[in-house]
Order: sequence, then C-alpha cells, then structure tokens
Amino acid sequence: MNRRDFMKGAALAGLYLKIGPAFVEGRTAAPDLAQIQGEDPAAITRAAVAALGGMKKFVSRGDKVIIKPNIGWDRVPEMAACTNPGVVRALVEMSLDAGAKDVVVMDNTTNQAKRCYIRSGIQDAAKQGGGKVLFADEHRLKKVPLKGEWLKEWEVFQDFLEADKIINVPIAKVHSLCRLSMSMKNWLGAIGGARNQLHQKLDQSIVDLQAFFKPSLTVLDAYRILIRNGPQGGRPSDTQLTKTVIAGVDAVAVDALGAGLFDIKPQELLYLRLAQERGLGKFELEKLRVEKRTI
Amino acid sequence: MTQAGFFSLFVYLFAVSHYTGQDYIGRTVERFFHFDPLIALTTFFASRAFFASFALAGVTVLLTLILGRVVCGWVCPLGAVHQFFSFIFKKAKFLRPKKEEKASVSWKYAVLVFVLVSAVFTLDVVGTLDPLSFLTRSFAIGVFPGLTHIASGFVGLLYGLRVNAAAQTISQFLDNLMLNATFRQGFLIMLIFAGIVALNAWKERFWCRYICPLGALLGVVSRLNVFKLRIDEEKCIKCGLCTTHCETQAVPYPNDKWRSAECVYCETCAAICPTAAITFPAKAKPEKLATVDLSRRKLILTTALGAIAAPFFRITPAWKRTDLKLIRPPGALPEETFLRKCIKCGECMKACPMNALQPAWSEAGPEGIWTPVLVPKIGYCEYYCSLCTQVCPTGAIKELKIEEKTKTKIGSAWINKNRCIPYALGKPCIVCEEHCPTSPKAIKFVMVETKLFDGTTATQKAPVIDNALCIGCGICENKCPVVDEPAIYVTSVGEQRSERNRLLLPES
Repeated sequence: MNRRDFMKGAALAGLYLKIGPAFVEGRTAAPDLAQIQGEDPAAITRAAVAALGGMKKFVSRGDKVIIKPNIGWDRVPEMAACTNPGVVRALVEMSLDAGAKDVVVMDNTTNQAKRCYIRSGIQDAAKQGGGKVLFADEHRLKKVPLKGEWLKEWEVFQDFLEADKIINVPIAKVHSLCRLSMSMKNWLGAIGGARNQLHQKLDQSIVDLQAFFKPSLTVLDAYRILIRNGPQGGRPSDTQLTKTVIAGVDAVAVDALGAGLFDIKPQELLYLRLAQERGLGKFELEKLRVEKRTI
Repeated sequence: MTQAGFFSLFVYLFAVSHYTGQDYIGRTVERFFHFDPLIALTTFFASRAFFASFALAGVTVLLTLILGRVVCGWVCPLGAVHQFFSFIFKKAKFLRPKKEEKASVSWKYAVLVFVLVSAVFTLDVVGTLDPLSFLTRSFAIGVFPGLTHIASGFVGLLYGLRVNAAAQTISQFLDNLMLNATFRQGFLIMLIFAGIVALNAWKERFWCRYICPLGALLGVVSRLNVFKLRIDEEKCIKCGLCTTHCETQAVPYPNDKWRSAECVYCETCAAICPTAAITFPAKAKPEKLATVDLSRRKLILTTALGAIAAPFFRITPAWKRTDLKLIRPPGALPEETFLRKCIKCGECMKACPMNALQPAWSEAGPEGIWTPVLVPKIGYCEYYCSLCTQVCPTGAIKELKIEEKTKTKIGSAWINKNRCIPYALGKPCIVCEEHCPTSPKAIKFVMVETKLFDGTTATQKAPVIDNALCIGCGICENKCPVVDEPAIYVTSVGEQRSERNRLLLPES
C-alpha cells in the first residue's frame, strides 16, 4: 500500500480505537444499582443480580461463599424482622450455579438461635436451595484487628474470615438509633462479644464493620419492610409490602436507594455520611447508573 | 433388660423437652409423672383438686396390686440408676453386702407417712424425694448441664486441634438439642445426686431400701401380689447368698421371712442361687407373710410431724409479701395454689429455651425451694414460647396457647436512672427498647439532658417504660449493657396472677 492509504488507515484505526470501545461499552455497561419490583421474592432477587451482570461477576468457580442474612429475631416472615426466606434461597441457588464450592448461611441471632432460624423460614429455605445452614458457634470467635476509626479490634466469627466471598442480605427496617437498619447494621450479626456496647457509637461502629467485611455483593431485601417498632415489629401493621429488592456492590448506594422507600433522604443518615467520607461508597444517586424495573 | 428400655425412654422424653421446631411439643413429655401414684395422691391432697392426667396412676396401682413392686424393679429410671451403680460398686469391691443386713427398711415408710400427712395439711414436699421428680431435677439442673460443659470443652479441644469438620458437626448437633447449662444451685443439686448415688457403695440400692416414699407406697399396695418367692427346700443348701445379694433387703432366705412388700422382682436371688432353688410361682391365695410395718410408735410420730409441719413452713415473710425477685413462669397459678401443686421436678427449667427458669432458693420461703423462678440476668422469657406451660406435669403452670401467653404479665420492668447510660453518662444506648418484643413497644423515648462531671450537658434519647404494655419478660434486663447490675430490671410486682402483688388498679 502507498503512504496515503497507510495514513488514512491509521487515522481511521485511531479514531475507532478512541471512540469505538466507549461506544460499545456504553451500550452494554452494567448498572451500579438494580432495583427490581415484583410479586415473587425469589424472582426479583434473580432479576436484580442478573441486571448487575449475573452472579458469575461476584462468585467464581470453587469459591467458599458465606451469605449473611438477618435471622436475628424469633418472628415469622410476615413480621418483616428477618430477611425474606425466598430472597435468601435465590441467592444460595445462584451462588451454587455460579460454581461456588459451598454456600454457608449464618447469623449470630439476637433471640434464641434455633427458634429464629426455624420461625423466620430461612433454615428451610436455605437448605432447600442447597446451602449449609450453621448456627453461630462461640468456639469460632476470634479477636481480630478491625482497623476502624472507632473499633480497633473485635471478636469476629472465623466463618466470615475464611470465606472467599461474602454476600450481605439485610432487610430494610426502621431503627431508633441509626434511623434505618439496612446493609451496614446487618454486620452486628457477624460478630460476637458485647455487641450491646456498640450502641454508644452505633453509626461509627457499623461503618467500621462495613469497611472490615468488604462484601462482594449487597442485596437489600425490601420485599416487606418494617416501618414502625423496629427492628423487630410485632404486628402486621408495622410492616409495608413494597415487593422490592435492591442490589449493588456499593453498599452505601444500596442503602441510599433503600432510604428512599422510607421517604428519608440519604444525607439525613449519619452513618451514610460517615461511610462516604471514609470512601466506602457514594450516596449521591444522581451520579450512579440505576436500573429500575418491575417484573 | 426392660430397665434399660424404660430408662432410655425416660432419658428420651427428658431430652426432647425442648424446642424441637414446633411451637407445641405435641408429645406429653411429662407422661412418666402421670403414672406416679405418690405424686397423684399428694397433689390431690395438697391442692384439693384432681388433675385428670393422674388417672394413669391407677394403672401403676393396679399393676402393683397384682404383680408386686415390679415398677420399682423394671420400670423406675432412678431404680435403674441405683441398680447400675450398685452393680459397679460391687464389681469394684466398694460395696460388700453383709451376710445379713440388719438396717431397718422402715424409714421409707416414715417418709411416706410424713409426705402424705403433710399434704393433707396442704404442704407439698413430695417433690424432694419422689424418685421421678428427684431424677428429673438432678438431670435438668446438675447432670445434663455438667455434661454439656464437658461436651463444649471437647468441641473446643477439637477446634484447637484443627479437626474442624468433626468439631462443627458435634457443635451444631449440641446446639440443636438446646441444652441448658447455666443453673444456680447446679453444683448443690449435683452434689446431692452424687451423694445419693454414692450411698449405693454403703448399702445396695440405698435409696430404694431406706428413702423412697414411692417404693414405700407401692410396698403397702403390693400385699395381694400374685407371684410369691418360693425356695425349694430340697435344693436349698442354706448358703444365704440370695439374702446377701437381694437388692432390696427382702430376705428371700429363710423363705418364711421373705418380705413381699420389699421384693422388686429383680430375681437376682434366683440367678445367684447355686442350686436354682428359687422360683416365683403364681399363687392366688395370699399367704401369711412377714411384712414391714412401721411400728406404731413411729407411725404416730411421723403422722404428728406431718400434721404440724405445714405451719412451720409458713413462718416465712414470703407468705405476707411477695419477693421482688419471685418472677414466676407465665401461666403459673396464684402462689398458694402453685406451691401446693409444684413438685419441683425441673421439667420447666429443662424445657425453657433461654435457660431463664432457675430453681428458687429463698424467694418463696422454704416451701418454695427449687420451684421455678425467672431470672432475667441469666435468661429471658422468649415472646412466642409457651414450652414451660406445656411440660408441667401437675398443672402448677397452666398450659397456655401462645396468643394467651404473649398477653400474660409476669412482672414489671423498672429503670434505674442512676445506672442507665443515657441518664447517668449522657451517651447513647437504646438496647432495651430495641429488644422489647411487644408491639407497640413497652419502652419509649424521651429526650433527657444530663449534666456531666466536666460541666457540659449532654442530650440523649433515654428510655421510659409504659407499664401497661410491659409483660415482664426480662429481655431488657438480659441485654442491658450495664452487665454487673442491669440499669433496667424486672420485678414481680404487677404480675397478673396475683391480687396481693398488683401494682396499678385498672383505669376504668
């Protein structure tokens, strides 16, 4: 080829290289957050994870996965105190489909463990999904340095330390101290020790814990949310059926979107502001790609 | 042997007296008690009311009338324990039975008379020495908790040795059994049990021979028993081995000295006889047999003691004013009736999922020792649970449906503002409100200003209690971070079963 042709070709190639990938990427880029609404908790969970790029993006073949739902209270699912069992089961199944070696489901409950596991429906659902349901075992507590701003060290269950991937599956509820109990508050079930002392600086504690655990994926169960008498409710009138699941890698963003379900602006939540300052995520939703769908 | 069978059944029923996944246990785990005529009689006398399930005790009486004390020899789980340990002690040569034991077996009859007579005068002490009650209590408060600690230590060892899979399996299994391992007086109860068992090294089946009031009752009833011990005079070589090794000192040899009221039909004598001279043929006609009778003097003395015992138990101020720590399980009958029915068996303490029910010491006076008391510092009353009401054998804790139970007030919570973190230290804490199970919650908030020692003022949310909604479950006290002496605590006043302990008159 002559020099003119070469120059033309190079220019075109350069142009393509500059614009092309962005053009292609823009067409197929995954959203930062997925908010899916629908009748079936399992279906909307699957859709939410699929919208983010599928579980294979978060769980690799051979991974030891631990799923951390809220199983803290001796309440039936209709009381919206614990994570919806259908949501948990879907995540267990998706993790196994993505090639996980085993999937452990565990929480350090507040009420009696066996009662919580059974009454919440999560023990059965997780087992049916193929997961390994374990009670939190005090023998497995280990004091670890948290490198938090307030919490320097705390007793953590080794199951979380030994897992390759952690999936956080909280339920969205109101709470008298941090106003809303969503993803970061859920870490209180991954630790042991005198958890009731953390309330002296609860917002800082849960941010420190979020920074420590670094989940691969956060899935906020907002199928039935608790709008009164949190965090355990007690009457059906304390709950609201919003039939939504919010999923994302950035837990701050997930909680920011979740706050909207309670008509609360993310800036109003101290723990979210602290988390953003720490660089754990963004709650300015305008800057994020959010996929909202109803199925 | 059938003993192993019944003992296993007993242990099985004992073991499943916990939350197995259903709200209502379904099985009557306390069934063994309903066959116990001693408890049936005593409870009937003391409470002046017949608890229907105890009709089953008639079966035991009938069985004993015809067959003698086979229940002692073949069914009673405590008897099995004593027989087992007597066997061990014999093999280890701790127990060397005398050729002719002269100790009087009439003591248990004295105990029986005292128990029955004092019950007529409304004092219910049967639970202390009834074998089923004794065994259940010892298991619930002493033996199983101790074993649980051993098992937990073993799991810890396995984890330490990095045998993780096995450790995890055992640990999860133990968690599922919901074994309660924390009990006040646990050491004492274990000591008593160990002491009673150790007595078998002194005399064989010590309890069965000298202490057991149920054995005494069945002995009295077994007059017309069909099977009589018979020594074939031609085969007998008069070695006396049968008498030496008779478990219950029934004196098989000489034949005319055989005490049918003591015989439990273990048939050790027949087995040990070198010439197989002993048989138990059926004989309808009741022969003139040597029986054990309390001497008239002893009978009068124990009856008198039984008659006057009750008032001495009621000198205690517990009869005038309810102790603040006497928080009874939900469904407990009013105190006077409760004390007449509770046999202190410990079933409720075993079944309680939070290990909240503990044996009382002084809260209810001497009559109330080892009756169940809720101790929130140890465990709280789980909101949706009614297990204690389901397992009580005598109905001292009335069976409640869960909907009834969640509305049953067993006490009232109070806040000590001098210790509560927001009030006293000006820092945030709402753990009590967080855990209050009622909806609407019985704990609400006010904003409180606290003057701190450095001159500044802190403003925090501080808890206040809505007494009308509080059911006294104790979860607030149990979870309060001021761990040495919780800043929020439950006392018995306001319990709905008691008129004397009432706090507030109804609004309208």
